[in-house]
Amino acid sequence: MTAEPALKIRDGGARMDPVTASVIQGAMENIAVEMGHKLMRMSYSSIIRESEDFGAALTDPAGRQLCETPQSTPLQSGPIPGYIEGILQIFAERGDVLAPGDVIIHNSAYHGASHGPDVAFCVPVFVAGNLVGFSVTTAHHLDIGALSPGSCGIVDAMDAYAEGLQMKALKIYDAGRPNGPLWQMLRDNIRASDLVVGDMEAQIAAARIGADRFIDLIERYGLATVEAAYEDLMDYSERIMRDAIAALPDGRYNARTFIDGFEDSEDPARRDLPIEVTAIVAGDTITVDFAGTAPQVADRPINMPLKGTTDCAVWLTIRSILLDTAVHGHIPQNSGLTRPIKIVAPPDSLVNPTFPAPTIARFCSGNQAADTLMKALGQAVPRQISAGVGNLHVVSFSGIRATSHWVHMEIHEGCYGGRFGKDGLDAVDTLYANTRNNPIEDIESHLPLRVNRYELRDDVCPPGKWRGGIGSIREFEFTENGGVSVEGEGHVYPPWGFDGGADGHTSALIFVPNQGNSVPLPSKLPNKMARAGDKIVMVGPCGGGYGDPFERDSIRVVEDVRDGYVSIARARSDFGVVITASLELDEAETEKLRREQRSH
Amino acid sequence: MRLIGVDVGGTFTDLVYTDTSSNQTVINKVPTTLEDPSIGAIAGIKTLCARLNIDPGVVDHVLHGTTIATNAVLEFDGAKTGIVTNEGYRDILHIGRHQRPLNYSIMQDIPWQARPLARRRHRRVVGGRIAPPKGEVLQPLDEQAVREIAREFKAEGIEAAAVCFLFSYIDPSHEDRAKQIIEEEYPECFVTSSAQVAPQFREFERFTTAAMNAFIGPKVRDYVANFEAGLSAANLDADLHIMGSHGGAATASLVSEKPILTLLSGPAAGVLGGAWAAGLGGRDRLITFDVGGTSADIGIVIDGRFAEATARDTYIGGYPVLVPMIDIETIGAGGGSIAWVDRGGAFRVGPQSAGSRPGPAAYGHGGLKPTVTDANLVLGRLDKDHFLGGDMSLDSAAARTVIDGLAAELGLDPLETAAGILTILNSNMANAIRSRTVQKGLDPRDFALVAFGGAGPLHGAEVADMLGIPEVVVPAHPGITSAAGLLTTDLKYDAIKTEFQVQGAIDLSKLSGDFASLEADLRRQYAADGIADRDIRLSRAGDLRYLGQGYELRIEFPDGIIDAATLEEVWQAFHAGHEAEYGHVFPDSQIEIVNIRMTGVGLMPKIAAPSPRGDSAPAAARLHSGDCVFRIDGALRTFETIYYARQRLATDVPVPGPAVFVQTDTTTVVPPGWFATVETGDNMILRRGH
Repeated sequence: MTAEPALKIRDGGARMDPVTASVIQGAMENIAVEMGHKLMRMSYSSIIRESEDFGAALTDPAGRQLCETPQSTPLQSGPIPGYIEGILQIFAERGDVLAPGDVIIHNSAYHGASHGPDVAFCVPVFVAGNLVGFSVTTAHHLDIGALSPGSCGIVDAMDAYAEGLQMKALKIYDAGRPNGPLWQMLRDNIRASDLVVGDMEAQIAAARIGADRFIDLIERYGLATVEAAYEDLMDYSERIMRDAIAALPDGRYNARTFIDGFEDSEDPARRDLPIEVTAIVAGDTITVDFAGTAPQVADRPINMPLKGTTDCAVWLTIRSILLDTAVHGHIPQNSGLTRPIKIVAPPDSLVNPTFPAPTIARFCSGNQAADTLMKALGQAVPRQISAGVGNLHVVSFSGIRATSHWVHMEIHEGCYGGRFGKDGLDAVDTLYANTRNNPIEDIESHLPLRVNRYELRDDVCPPGKWRGGIGSIREFEFTENGGVSVEGEGHVYPPWGFDGGADGHTSALIFVPNQGNSVPLPSKLPNKMARAGDKIVMVGPCGGGYGDPFERDSIRVVEDVRDGYVSIARARSDFGVVITASLELDEAETEKLRREQRSH
Repeated sequence: MRLIGVDVGGTFTDLVYTDTSSNQTVINKVPTTLEDPSIGAIAGIKTLCARLNIDPGVVDHVLHGTTIATNAVLEFDGAKTGIVTNEGYRDILHIGRHQRPLNYSIMQDIPWQARPLARRRHRRVVGGRIAPPKGEVLQPLDEQAVREIAREFKAEGIEAAAVCFLFSYIDPSHEDRAKQIIEEEYPECFVTSSAQVAPQFREFERFTTAAMNAFIGPKVRDYVANFEAGLSAANLDADLHIMGSHGGAATASLVSEKPILTLLSGPAAGVLGGAWAAGLGGRDRLITFDVGGTSADIGIVIDGRFAEATARDTYIGGYPVLVPMIDIETIGAGGGSIAWVDRGGAFRVGPQSAGSRPGPAAYGHGGLKPTVTDANLVLGRLDKDHFLGGDMSLDSAAARTVIDGLAAELGLDPLETAAGILTILNSNMANAIRSRTVQKGLDPRDFALVAFGGAGPLHGAEVADMLGIPEVVVPAHPGITSAAGLLTTDLKYDAIKTEFQVQGAIDLSKLSGDFASLEADLRRQYAADGIADRDIRLSRAGDLRYLGQGYELRIEFPDGIIDAATLEEVWQAFHAGHEAEYGHVFPDSQIEIVNIRMTGVGLMPKIAAPSPRGDSAPAAARLHSGDCVFRIDGALRTFETIYYARQRLATDVPVPGPAVFVQTDTTTVVPPGWFATVETGDNMILRRGH
């Protein structure tokens, strides 16, 4: 390996000297960092500022991504090229023309956005009258004018029109002049519009900063030099990805998992839906084929547009496994990375729906697609994956004070399965989601909610040589009347165990009324009225175990018992480890028990 | 007054003695004793006193910069720590903000899960709950349960405990009471509480801060006690003060209670030292640029005041901490940074460093990897016979060999390769400076760059060039700037309270009352330290945001009674600050006062300005000349360059570049088109043009 890089530079056909390339590439990453930093700090709603459900990137004039902000969640920056392609397509169809000073608002699910709440603001960047690229911010907005408050848990939207406003490449600034009627329409049709419009203004400000910095960079080095630098950068990322794929054994790797869909539905076409992936590795390319995946659910919004959700789930998973940052260090994120990856998704399926099939609640389905691809790749690189990952719940709380809405969104985390040599990560956002929870002290100080409990589940440690991650319990109580809606997954199908590890545990939602009995809720909950004193308990999933639990280091089992993750009884039954009442290891009994187990 | 500053680094302990009445200043450098740095430090003080022929008893103050707390965190070598927290919230420290540090990684570890400051078995819960906004007690504290836990902690050998209750920043009474009970039952235990170390909202961050304070508590307490004992044994009855991360000193007893205050002790002293040196020449808008062998620390000084990191951006070892810190950007870029070709074929410099052993190839200790120092030597910018004042000679052939190897790998000319290493390094450092200036609405062209540390003056002019910075200040002794900085500090204490008050519904009497109580807290602390009222300076500030935002901006508050008119000034200052920081303003939005703060400064005696040492014309300061390579209009050119002895040069005589100035602790490069002049305070100023 060590002798190769010099050859690679020449073989790679570098357009410019490596020193200038390095300098310009560093400057571009710096621009994306600044955009993300400012957007996060200026924004109002917790889904952006705390959960960090936003993205920022620069693209070339065709929409190829040059750099992204590292603060973003992968499902936000990843789709940006698709947004630009969608905008360019719509502009071409309409015969519209981009001009300096324009700002484009865009959230069309089937033109890159993949669901309406993720609204992009795109600033076309002009130098000497020529379009040289786009500066783009995306963010998940609290409300987009759908049929019920909030922008998650809109699980009964029956088509794209029921999901809220569709803004298809509209000029919200036209050559520098604000589009007054459009702003007014946003204010009139969106709940909690002060917050949402404030966030939109913050997005525009951050995108404009990115554009200014991009212009400075081009003026400093010249357009041709900057173009050569980013072409080299994309080639570089592509080369690294091809090398990583080439290291895999050629072959076909197939896996299938299921999502709950609408577990309480009488219609079998809405529940227990398969997601199937075949990863075909050939040389330095990989094809990800979703044949076998369920058809789209034509009238319920859990479909994932190919562009913006399915593709991001695939890219994220391959990158996280083959170019794991903890192993390989920082690798520039740009469109070059995705060149060696081909995606085949059957039309009209869950992973490639057709307009106007609704999509607003596609978040958890997409994370399941990522998990399924990991399951397939586990056959090729068993030491680089985790066992089954616990999926998430996205929850919207809302209510009315005086005449205006309050809306608050939370993502309740999942966790990872066990990994080779490591236990799964406990209670954490998973795969293409990487948001932050809201501090209890912030929630209770600003909203009519109380958080009564937030801690790990007891005695549910998924067995494995390396155990699955443990999920959390978070309990909310309404202190005023309001409502709640949820889009989640994983109530029916537990995360998969790997290589002898046990399956993990399903998640659950429980409604505890102020008076009366608790009732379990489905993972898709349309807006439900709640009264002061009512509680919602969110029980997170536990990830799958990795490897035979009877091979787990017995000392680690003792530690887990001491930490309250595993009871003495389960240590014995699930791990074959005998622990005394004083929490010491009984080595002789443990060895005996494990030997008996092996002889069976 | 006689003062000694002691800055303990990884390899050397730097000492500076100053007598403020005679203006005498003397420097000493001794090896750091890693097992207990106080041993080397005390030995250094003794030799310094012996050399000065003074009785150690006459020293009034010892100021100390230490990495003991930082290392305990980074090496995860602290106390066996227990937590007492609310029932229902046992795992706040484990779940954190449920975010993964890395977006694209399956095999990553989460610091607080992989290396818990308190293991789950030692995290105990008790009944008791306080609620916002006014501290309503939903459930009284279960004192008996606390008592039982304290006994269990004692039986289990817990060494330190942190009491962490929700909303303790509104009402700390449950935490205070629980702490008191633990101390009654188990007086040997180091006990801390979350509101005591960081009385502000965000439970994960506050609890982590408290847990970390406990985790490092016994170690720092013992270290400080050893240091004091060592001073006594050496017949010093000087007061010991320790540098805090916020750029002020604290007493030994306060640091023993809140060791968390010292996490960035060393780098903070560097920023102070740089600010002090440049301030001697009247400059007070500064970018401090402290470059050593492995890293570069960058700080910002505006009108003589240090930029402070926002509470949401302060991390150590991956853990968030809510304590005031000077805003210091650290990147892996220094003289030992290794240049390499990554597996995708890109040319990179750092963040890995060759360290001091084997060090750069030029050190001749068997280093085989090309470093920044090797590039500087190949380009003629280091004098092989006058490195570190001639204490060490450099191996040009070895440097050339490793640069040639890299050049072959890259397919570049060797000189282009060496110049490329410097360009990439300088550009990484310039980006780091941009992130603290341009990205915050500050124009670096309005600042002077203060270049120090062993490698800062080598790179200062070229980094300044990249940013359009007009002046570079090189202090008299760039290698001991941190130790000198210790002797420029005051006793600095912060007090903070979370308010959550919103524009239009401000309770003015509460606001004034809270400021008054913060002030009383600080005055009590200063009185305990024996600082006279006339030597205390207090200033007010608030952390403000538009209602609904999640990040606050620090805005100054006026002294005196707060009324509608003074509040209006505060609101206007916030709008202006937001515009400056982010380039955008929301004029119609309500503003929320999240926290109020009071910062106290208790004045201490300080080091005096050094007098210029040299009296020679440039010709007499000249050592020799040689070839030095610089890039001019895109092409590399070799210049016949004069090497000077820095300390011989007289003041106010501009020397044109290209020139190289050597001295015992650094080398200063003056590129073509730049001039160097020794000015007030024995600083060397580099300027472009004329």
